[in-house]
Amino acid sequence: MVEASSVEIRKVNKYYGDFHALKDIDLSIPPGKVTCLIGPSGSGKSSLLRCINFLEEYDSGEVLIDGKLIGYETPGGRRMSRRKLRQMRSTIGMVFQQFNLWPHMTAQENVAEGLRRVRGLRKAEAMERAAQALDRVGLSDRMANHPARLSGGQQQRVAIARAVAMDPRLMLFDEPTSALDPELVGEVLNVMKALAAGGMTMVVVTHEMGFAAHVADQVAFLDAGELVGVDAPARILREPEDPRIQSFLRTYHERNVI
Amino acid sequence: MFSLSTFLDAFWPLTLAARYTLLVSGLGIALGLVIGAFVCVLALSKSRAARTVAALWVSYLRGVPMLVQLLVVFFLLPVIGINVPAIVAAVVTTAIVASAYISEIWRGAILALPRGQTEAAIAIGMRPRDTWTRIILPQAVALSIPQLINELILLVKASSLVSVVGVMEITRASQAQAGVTFRPLEAYLAAACLYLVINLCLAALGRWLEHRMAV
Ligand SMILES: Nc1ncnc2c1ncn2[C@@H]1O[C@H](COP(=O)(O)OP(=O)(O)O)[C@@H](O)[C@H]1O
Ligand SMILES: [Mg+2]
Repeated sequence: MVEASSVEIRKVNKYYGDFHALKDIDLSIPPGKVTCLIGPSGSGKSSLLRCINFLEEYDSGEVLIDGKLIGYETPGGRRMSRRKLRQMRSTIGMVFQQFNLWPHMTAQENVAEGLRRVRGLRKAEAMERAAQALDRVGLSDRMANHPARLSGGQQQRVAIARAVAMDPRLMLFDEPTSALDPELVGEVLNVMKALAAGGMTMVVVTHEMGFAAHVADQVAFLDAGELVGVDAPARILREPEDPRIQSFLRTYHERNVI
Repeated sequence: MFSLSTFLDAFWPLTLAARYTLLVSGLGIALGLVIGAFVCVLALSKSRAARTVAALWVSYLRGVPMLVQLLVVFFLLPVIGINVPAIVAAVVTTAIVASAYISEIWRGAILALPRGQTEAAIAIGMRPRDTWTRIILPQAVALSIPQLINELILLVKASSLVSVVGVMEITRASQAQAGVTFRPLEAYLAAACLYLVINLCLAALGRWLEHRMAV
């Protein structure tokens, strides 16, 4: 395992037109730890996550990966070169709610693609490494399948293998289990737990409070673009002080009682 | 009375003429694919000027009847000092008309791809060139096959128009045949059969390609 990255988010603001989507966000993500982002839908969780690999540009503030600013040359300055940005992104894995596998490639080709085009490996070696990555997520018997022939849980595990095969130092997950049938959620969470146990820095947007409670080292709660609180899961999920967190958790529990 | 032997005799000259039908529509679509790709790049460009050029190109070519465009090209080229055979004017016209439709087909196919397809490539650190050649285009091309085949079938039919500038393709050859034999019905029925055979073959090719490229 390569060393794990830290992420430092300082006074980050993000606008969509006039809409203020992220308001002065400050958040420290320690290396090798799991940070869960929770909050109501539309609160800015995805936006914040996507600022970390600059898939979404932030308008002010700083996002530092291992102390290095991403997206801009200097805070508030010029954009960083596309080459440097690609280089930084290649060490940050991302997993999407809709998997976003490439449908015209097999599972193995999906995983090998980044190794070939970004890492410059030769085809045989990339395919070999892809096979190993798929083996680690329990899909060695599904390597030749196209995504359409895989279940949602299997597709999401391929997507995780695709990111992990690049040897990232940081993994971003945007609601990785929200598109899955309930019985398939467990297999994906298990793969994520194994990654966390291996010492990967992980930032996970999730509605799985069980995962947040048991796997996260810290939980950050967002509401209407504000970071309302960050704390250990036991404290923020069991004895929240802020009424907005209390009301969010109450709604969550009511929905899950039935 | 319908004369079966006249009908059958018409097929040989018409089959020879079919080479020109295929030449005009085949070369037309081939060049149309190239020009169409270029127009599509303009249409998807960040530059407003480029998008305007593409929009003008597409709306002129789709808004004016092909027969009129053919006559414009045929009579315009000599005026600007280019003297080329009618067949060249026919191919050029077919190609530029096809390019307008093809660029729209491709633009639609590219825009139909989910945003996440590109985002996954960007997030992994892929270069724009690889993102296009490995992720976007293979999917967009596969997606556009049925419409491209459809366009090709339309071109085969539209190529009958180039008979007016004297290209001896199926339609003009059947007119000539009718004139020689004084039996128009047999000649035109033979022409209809030939067009039908060509287009059924193209439709079958389309289904085969679609099946092969399905993921
Ligand atoms: N591309 C966009 N353009 C305009 N508004 C957006 C865009 N993306 C997100 N938003 C808005 O920003 C807010 C936060 O969105 P998001 O980060 O996706 O929230 P979450 O992931 O917590 O549901 C929402 O109100 C959403 O409508
Ligand atoms: Mg979201």
